[in-house]
Amino acid sequence: MRDYLLRRLVSVIPVLFLVSLMSFAVIWIIPGDPTAAFLDASSTPEDVARLREMLGLDKPPLVQMAEWYGRVLTGDLGQSILLRIPVLSAILERLPLTLLLATLALILAVGLGVAAGTFAATRRGTWADQSVMSLALLGLSVPDFWLGLLLIVVFSVQLGWLPSGGYVPLLDDPLGWAKSMVLPTITLAVVQVGFIARMTRSAMLDVISQDFMRTADSKGLSGLYIILRHGLPNAMMPILTVTGIIAGALLGSAVVVEQVFALPGVGRLIIGGILSRDYPIIQGGLLFLTVIYLLINLVVDLLYATIDPRVRLE
Amino acid sequence: MRPSLKALAFAFGLMTALVGVTPAVEAAGGEIVIASVQGPPSLDAHVTNAQVARNITLHIYETLYARNENAEPVPDLAEGVSVSDDGLTYTFKLRQGVKFHNGKEMTSADVVASIERYRKIGVSPALVAAIDTVSAVSPYEVAIKLKVKQSVFLDNISSPRAPIAIYPTEEAAKGANEIQYIGTGPFKFVEYKPDSHVTLEKFADYVPNPAYQKRDGLAGKKEVLIDRVTFRFIPEAGARTAALESGAVQIVETVDGPTAERLRKDSKYVVHDVLPFAFQVIKFNHAQAPSDDVNFRKAVQAALDMQEVMEISYSGINQVDGGWVFPKSAFANDAGLDQYNVADFEKAKAFLSKSSYKGETVTFITDNLRPNVDIATVVQARLAEIGVKVDIKVADWPTTSKIGFTKTGWNFWTHGFGIEPFEGPGTVMSAFVGGNAQMVADPEIDRIAKEFYATLDDAQKKELFKQFQQRMYDNMVAIKAGNYGLFQVTSDKVKDFVPFRIPRMWGVTLAP
Amino acid sequence: MSSLDTNLAHEALPERQSPFLLFLRRLSGNRAFVIGGSLFLIVLVLAVFADQIAPFKPGANNFRARLEAPSAVHRFGTDHFGRDILSRAIHGGRLSLFIGLSVVLFTGVFGTLIGAASGYFRRLDNILMRIMDALMAFPAILLAITVAATLGASVQNVILALGIATTPHTARIVRASVLVVREMEFVEAARALGASHMRILFRHILANAMAPLIVRLTYVFASAILAEALLSYIGVGPPPPAATFGGIIANGRDFMVEAPWVTLFPGLIILVVVLGLNLLGDGLRDVLDPRIRV
Repeated sequence: MRDYLLRRLVSVIPVLFLVSLMSFAVIWIIPGDPTAAFLDASSTPEDVARLREMLGLDKPPLVQMAEWYGRVLTGDLGQSILLRIPVLSAILERLPLTLLLATLALILAVGLGVAAGTFAATRRGTWADQSVMSLALLGLSVPDFWLGLLLIVVFSVQLGWLPSGGYVPLLDDPLGWAKSMVLPTITLAVVQVGFIARMTRSAMLDVISQDFMRTADSKGLSGLYIILRHGLPNAMMPILTVTGIIAGALLGSAVVVEQVFALPGVGRLIIGGILSRDYPIIQGGLLFLTVIYLLINLVVDLLYATIDPRVRLE
Repeated sequence: MRPSLKALAFAFGLMTALVGVTPAVEAAGGEIVIASVQGPPSLDAHVTNAQVARNITLHIYETLYARNENAEPVPDLAEGVSVSDDGLTYTFKLRQGVKFHNGKEMTSADVVASIERYRKIGVSPALVAAIDTVSAVSPYEVAIKLKVKQSVFLDNISSPRAPIAIYPTEEAAKGANEIQYIGTGPFKFVEYKPDSHVTLEKFADYVPNPAYQKRDGLAGKKEVLIDRVTFRFIPEAGARTAALESGAVQIVETVDGPTAERLRKDSKYVVHDVLPFAFQVIKFNHAQAPSDDVNFRKAVQAALDMQEVMEISYSGINQVDGGWVFPKSAFANDAGLDQYNVADFEKAKAFLSKSSYKGETVTFITDNLRPNVDIATVVQARLAEIGVKVDIKVADWPTTSKIGFTKTGWNFWTHGFGIEPFEGPGTVMSAFVGGNAQMVADPEIDRIAKEFYATLDDAQKKELFKQFQQRMYDNMVAIKAGNYGLFQVTSDKVKDFVPFRIPRMWGVTLAP
Repeated sequence: MSSLDTNLAHEALPERQSPFLLFLRRLSGNRAFVIGGSLFLIVLVLAVFADQIAPFKPGANNFRARLEAPSAVHRFGTDHFGRDILSRAIHGGRLSLFIGLSVVLFTGVFGTLIGAASGYFRRLDNILMRIMDALMAFPAILLAITVAATLGASVQNVILALGIATTPHTARIVRASVLVVREMEFVEAARALGASHMRILFRHILANAMAPLIVRLTYVFASAILAEALLSYIGVGPPPPAATFGGIIANGRDFMVEAPWVTLFPGLIILVVVLGLNLLGDGLRDVLDPRIRV
């Protein structure tokens, strides 16, 4: 197991390198530069050139790239052009909100999804199965940003129960914080609940139809015992894969939810970086998200290996 | 004996008056939250001319001269100015006892350092291009010597575009976007949380300019009656309005027409129309076929119905007006306006047949702001009627402006002209000098502008501006679709708010 | 169709009935498939015959009839151009479905090839999966936004971005199934009988890994439609005059409270289309995977 962990850790390095190359490619491909955020439409090309020089953007891309790798190896992601602070502190400042949002949504999604999916699988073909799965399908089919807009109109404008967005620090006002997280969490989780419920159900059905389950059944063991002892663990592989994917997808969808509900998270930081061409933020942000993704995938793979020893032998 | 009805009414009136007055005194203080669309790229006033930045920076910093309610330059940090007979030397006398937010008094050294910094790194260098030298004559006197006579120099020095803000000497020594946010304004900077908010608080040691009795544009008496102001950035229009209606914010910087209409019916809100706020302009690229052909450009103008264009993109807050200054300006005239808002497909086709257009697809670039995309969409539909195929390219602002600043890759580009008409005819003209906007210099416009900047005679300036406007139409340099405005909405708790381009937070009170 | 036939060949079939007919009979007996298929078919027909069906031209402006509430004339109301939302939604289906289908083809082909190679040839696994990891590490939405916002939104860019973004997940799912199936007895048996790698991979392993892939591709189709809507909402969808579901929603976002119909109806249509696709996938899955057939 330790060898496996070591091998997986080493394999992360080329991925990080690939991603950093890709983020450079992104920066090379996209037109425009950070001066645009500062300047209006009547500015002259001379004005643009002047500001470029003032912001230290006049170095050739290759030089910038070399400098960047030099710094990254020492743990320095550089300085944001617009925000005037180190990229790492900008990210760390925004990270808690995004992670919290994603975690709340993941807990909600996995809890509800696995329960609903297992429930439906054990009652295959009944009206209960069909209603639970119809709900899951409905959740899966909703455009999340659209749901967020509807929730704002209903719960903020019409009923006035919950805030339409904005950031409330937990320590300043715990109740206000809780209220401000409700709509974003629901918006973020709804799609994933449906996804996990579906995957859980189909994985469970796969397992139920396999021989050892039929054997367990023929031995006369109780239904719930069979599901919990034999069914769920054997359905874990697909469920894990999906949960890993979802954890990643949540970070992506958080971007949208942060935008709709005006929450200052990492997603908006990177979107803002893209829209204002704040290159260090784009590069640093993408690299950082990559690290998180890789960690999630690593954990999922390790769990694979734990559940199914055949995997780690290869 | 019955008390007289008159006496009773008087007593009642007095009581109401007293009751009415008392809370106003208690109401001093409090925090006003303003919902804005997006945050500023920087709070270093010298390095950005983005509107979102100036809304905030003009609360923190001040300039020697500032624009009053009618956009004319009047003294702000300066007491006044004396101009030498040759028109080349401007000597500004500074107000005494003006404090920076760090407690230091402002003197001529700070002014010289700030203007020098602007000349080096300011993003609107045209504002200071005429300056030859800046020097301190005494602790409270600064002399600016110009290279050539410039009729618009005071307009420039007072411009809010990328304001020539006065910083303390130490800050003025720092590079672009590297300063501490310290100014002399009525509010001081507290914090900036990007993508969330900017908070300012009342500057306790602020001494309002004694030369004024009341608020006057960005100058005048700036008396702060609240404790704090927070600008909260909410990109989603629905969420901004919801925040207002739930009481989380008291002012919304801008709402759309239908929302304004709805809120106007509700006594809890006051809707202020800031109209005109800006021109909507459709630029032509004269360096690329077929928009290099004046008949093609005239065909486009003739095809458009400006009421449709403006009403779709800025419903309920627009003026169908083809003049290249705002209608109330002293420079307003009707030169060339017979060619504006023709909305005649037959005329358009006649122009088109005289042009070099051969049925190729023309490119309309726009950023992804809804009204700009709307205008591109309307123009596309209208031009289809006369057989011109338009391809719309929507991208974000950096990409669009990158293309729009070059000679290839576009034929039309639409956006607002906000600060230019506010600053006055000189700035509007300068946008087209040397082919800056249209990519090919127009010698006639360059001549008119040069003469305009050199003369100090008002009548001659008006005559020259008339020629400019005529030329804009005769050569169809660019299309001005109309004027648009902003709906600023305040909650009924916000008292004494007077709408302006920039939502000013001085002179405003907040009822409990 | 060949993979479906092989799949069915694994079980004892009643004599004198062709596998294909049996397959069709099962499909027509599956309620999810029938409902989902009908929903999808309706949208498909509407999209294909949009010109004949839509009551108005999708691009016909009439600013005097702007933001009109639903009525007998405009059943879904009008947007702020005064355009008929029903007509725009009918036309919108065309582009949205085209984008969805293109993305499915892209990810189906590349995801299967990469996933199968990676799961079966273990020496390739490390390299391929690391590349997939790197691609996956770019959040799909951010990748799509970056491409569309900065390079200018065009239909090709949107398809490319969504295709690249969905392929790694597809590959992972195929790989996960292959990992499980390749250890099963019948594969070992085939190997022992001296079957070639290609034959084992395509005839035995992939055929048995089809069910999760089809669920995945349904999801990709649905999520491509959702993602297109999202891009348009952010303002980087296909440019005007193209009507897409997301584009119509985006047009109404600024008037959500005053004119909710502009955002409500297209959103509901997306919901129905995606729901239909998901039901369709469920039906196919139930029929394709004989082990869970009761």
